[in-house]
Amino acid sequence: MSVEFRDVVKRYGTTTAVSGISFTVETGSLVTLLGPSGCGKTTTLRMIAGLELPSEGRILIAGRDVTRLSATERDVSMVFQSYALFPHMSVLDNVCYGLRRSGHSKEAAAQQARAGLAQVGLAGYEGRQPSELSGGQQQRVAVARALVLKPSVLLFDEPLSNLDARLRRQMREDIRELQQALGLTVVYVTHDQQEAMAVSDRIIVMNVGRIEQEGTPRDLYERPATPFLARFMGESNPARAHLHRLDPQRLRVQLGPATIDIDNGTASDGEATVAVRPEAITVEAAPGPANALPGTVVKASYVGTHIEYSIETEAGTLFATCPQVDRPLAPGAAVALVLAPRGVIVVESR
Amino acid sequence: MLLPWYALQEGLDSGAWLGGLWSSEDYGSGFAEVLAQGKWWLSPALLALMGCFGLSLLPIPRERRGTCLAFVAGAGVVLFAAQAWGIGLRGWTAGWLTALFGEMESRQVGIGAGAAVALIALLSLLSIGLALRGAFGGDAFVAGAVTAVATSILLFTAWPILRILLQAFQNGDGAFEPALVIERLSAAKIWSLRCLSGSGRCGVAWNTLFLAVACGAGTTALGLAFALIVTRTSFRFKKTLRVLTVLPIVTPPFVIGLALILIFGRSGLVNQLLEWSLGVPPTRWIYGFQGVLLAQLFAFTPVAFLVLIGVVEGVSPTLEEASQTLRADAWTTFATVSLPLMRPGLANAFLVGFIESIADFGNPIVLGGDYGVLSTEIYFAVVGAQLDYGHAAALALLLLVLALGAFFLQRRVVGGRSYATISGKGDAGLPVPLPKGARRWALSVALPWATFTVLLYGFAFMGGLVKVWGRDYTPTLDHYIKAFAIERSASGLIWSGAAWNSFWTTVTLAAIAAPLTALLGLLAAWLLVRQRFVGRAALEFATMLSFAVPGTVIGVAYVFAFNIPPIEITGTALIIVICFVFRNMPVGVRAGIAAMSQIDRSLDEASATLRGRAPQTLIHVVLPLLRPAMVGALVYGFVRAVTTVSAVVFLVTAEYELATTYIILRVINGDYGLAIAYSSALIALMLAAILLIQLAVGDRRLGRRAAQLQGSRA
Repeated sequence: MSVEFRDVVKRYGTTTAVSGISFTVETGSLVTLLGPSGCGKTTTLRMIAGLELPSEGRILIAGRDVTRLSATERDVSMVFQSYALFPHMSVLDNVCYGLRRSGHSKEAAAQQARAGLAQVGLAGYEGRQPSELSGGQQQRVAVARALVLKPSVLLFDEPLSNLDARLRRQMREDIRELQQALGLTVVYVTHDQQEAMAVSDRIIVMNVGRIEQEGTPRDLYERPATPFLARFMGESNPARAHLHRLDPQRLRVQLGPATIDIDNGTASDGEATVAVRPEAITVEAAPGPANALPGTVVKASYVGTHIEYSIETEAGTLFATCPQVDRPLAPGAAVALVLAPRGVIVVESR
Repeated sequence: MLLPWYALQEGLDSGAWLGGLWSSEDYGSGFAEVLAQGKWWLSPALLALMGCFGLSLLPIPRERRGTCLAFVAGAGVVLFAAQAWGIGLRGWTAGWLTALFGEMESRQVGIGAGAAVALIALLSLLSIGLALRGAFGGDAFVAGAVTAVATSILLFTAWPILRILLQAFQNGDGAFEPALVIERLSAAKIWSLRCLSGSGRCGVAWNTLFLAVACGAGTTALGLAFALIVTRTSFRFKKTLRVLTVLPIVTPPFVIGLALILIFGRSGLVNQLLEWSLGVPPTRWIYGFQGVLLAQLFAFTPVAFLVLIGVVEGVSPTLEEASQTLRADAWTTFATVSLPLMRPGLANAFLVGFIESIADFGNPIVLGGDYGVLSTEIYFAVVGAQLDYGHAAALALLLLVLALGAFFLQRRVVGGRSYATISGKGDAGLPVPLPKGARRWALSVALPWATFTVLLYGFAFMGGLVKVWGRDYTPTLDHYIKAFAIERSASGLIWSGAAWNSFWTTVTLAAIAAPLTALLGLLAAWLLVRQRFVGRAALEFATMLSFAVPGTVIGVAYVFAFNIPPIEITGTALIIVICFVFRNMPVGVRAGIAAMSQIDRSLDEASATLRGRAPQTLIHVVLPLLRPAMVGALVYGFVRAVTTVSAVVFLVTAEYELATTYIILRVINGDYGLAIAYSSALIALMLAAILLIQLAVGDRRLGRRAAQLQGSRA
């Protein structure tokens, strides 16, 4: 195990940023800390780096207790949100910096730095100043600078937030590719749920200083444990529903007049909150099939790839996305909603 | 321990101590003093040192070792301090200590090289111990730096000021008498209000207050006029007005006073003109409240201008444009939006003028005449015939209370309520031009004032070029020759001018102090901005506080604190250098903080995660980016050291005479020609130094650096 947190707490004065979290990061995997701003994910990352020391608990890196070690003494390196390239040094000097500080000779450092720059596709840019590079290139320099130290853990703090949307997709694919090719252990922080799902082996979702849920991207999206998670991982409509167990594996969800049978082995009978994914709602003209949920269109917005509807139903106002853009429904139209079983999730049952 | 423990009469460089390290009581090293001279009280410090050495060899876990190290070294420091302050020249320093431990046969003088090294070693070990325990981010360098800065501020700012407090409560023999301070502070000479009823003079406390309030109000009004002209009108000579801001930095504070004497003094131009044309006999009206106020207004208006220009520029044009789109005309906008937004800044400028005025020593001593203020009164109590240290301490205490009162008031009133609206967001608005009335007012106030300032400096310069001002206007270089003559003789050049001695002393000491000032200031700034540690707020507060302490108070405090053991350095060059450093350090701290907050913090952190230890980060990352601030702090440290009067006037000796104090003595003796010639030379030197540095720094194209910083963030 590369990184291990044991009941780590971080307090600033009277406010608690991180309240007692434990997790492990396997060697060679990419784990993302995901959560809304202020949830403690960046603090957690900085505690791995040694830029913050925990108030309580233990931190182990590669089996060694590093709880009280400063950033310099830990075998980690970090790619910053702002890249933090030294503006008074050339690209090569930037990448050499860590090598020189860890005692390599000038020539050896320069050689490794060149190799590192080639790895991120920046061979030939050695003599440039950081200010002469584009955002994506600066990002790559920052990655190369962290990479050449061959740390046991590589940390990324929202590395893509300063790039435009197109570049962001490209960079996240590159980072994932590099991580898998070199077998790196990476801890990655982001607040973007899509980005997290695209790059991660595992995701740790944090909220107000605690770990909300931990698992693979698919786990978290299809089986969110809490209403917060259902809301945070993709869009979802919260709705009150009545549950009725059919057999040990099957559950019948009664949502207004509509019934949906889903796979669920845990929830008990009675009232519960369910989350309905907007893409699981098929909007059809009324009256529709027998188990459909009748409703009225309130709002319709055309956004290119699909149409977004707000639809008033007995179970509340639902948000639905509809890929059929040829025959848009006008506000006021009566519709029937068919709910796909995999998009109806029980998040809280009593 | 190979250095003599105690301070030596003849200095370390004589080498006489080498033979007496073991045997002599005066020259002995720490171990020798304990073993051969029986000074058992030195042993805890030395034992602690050895203990720490032993600890570092023991194979125990990191955190436990840190705890032990911190504990042992901390105990060593405490016992060191206890013995240093507990045992003085005549044995125990306090009666209760004698009662507790019995009569002390032996004595000890001030600490010397050996003791200083031992103390530094103990403090370093203490910080390493704390760092091992995980304090200061686990970084020993940061821990050491914090300890060093905190200790030096404690020793050279807090301790002397505390000493003043003590002195005010003591009678002539050093006994503690709390009633005395009340008696000293309630004297009629301080609080009398008779001038209001027209039957005599007011007390010095009131004098100081009246003057400070008038000066604060005056400089604020003038500064505002200048600031408005520079930022909000299309006035053509804006650049020239900006030059005015450099002048007070390079001018020794009493030069304005001197120039005023040349114009309005008994044999000044105005009086002579009146006598010649109307037969009015010359008067001495310039000496007194009006003269000092006039001089202070001239001297400190540029400071208010500097404060207010930031404030006026900080008012967001967008807000003014918003006001105008809401049907307000130019004047209403100015009166209801712009001025209220500037209010905190105006309060700030007023308090700066207030503090500058009560701290001013040069102008009151030159122009005050019978109008005594606290700073001059303190000077006469220490230097004059009365030689009443207790009185001086009580007055200094009063001055300190006034200054700190103003300082706290400023923080309370202004601190949390800054409307400065400069933000990272682009502000596309154009500043609204001043309404006509305000513009006319500003110009009519500022222009004559600026002209007069130029005239003053002109006269001050010319005063050094005529034989005797007021009587004989024959152009001459006599004064310069008298001051700066160099003779050629068989044995080479002889610096025979009267001023050379003090000139070289000043330049040397200032040149030693300036790098130390810049270094300590920037180090403190780096710690305050970049590091998080227990007591950070207290440290920041302490450095800012020494800003508000008037120079006169610092000077007196140094005399009291450092003329007896354990730190006995009165009369040496060391005390002057230390005084320069700790007087001017807050400026370095401010410059450093301002510059550092523009550099992204993640640069430091990046260096740390890239195996750069704190000192390497400082050298390779922070300092190169801070070079402009560093140069600024250096220049400022040097210039302020050369031009300062109030603090060092108590510290100079015949051996180490400084330019400013030399000039003041010439003025008090009525030798204006030489004084003016010398002052002009100093101003020219400082101006040249500043221009040179500005050229050097300007060449580094700061704009591009800023763009780079932005670029790497974008």
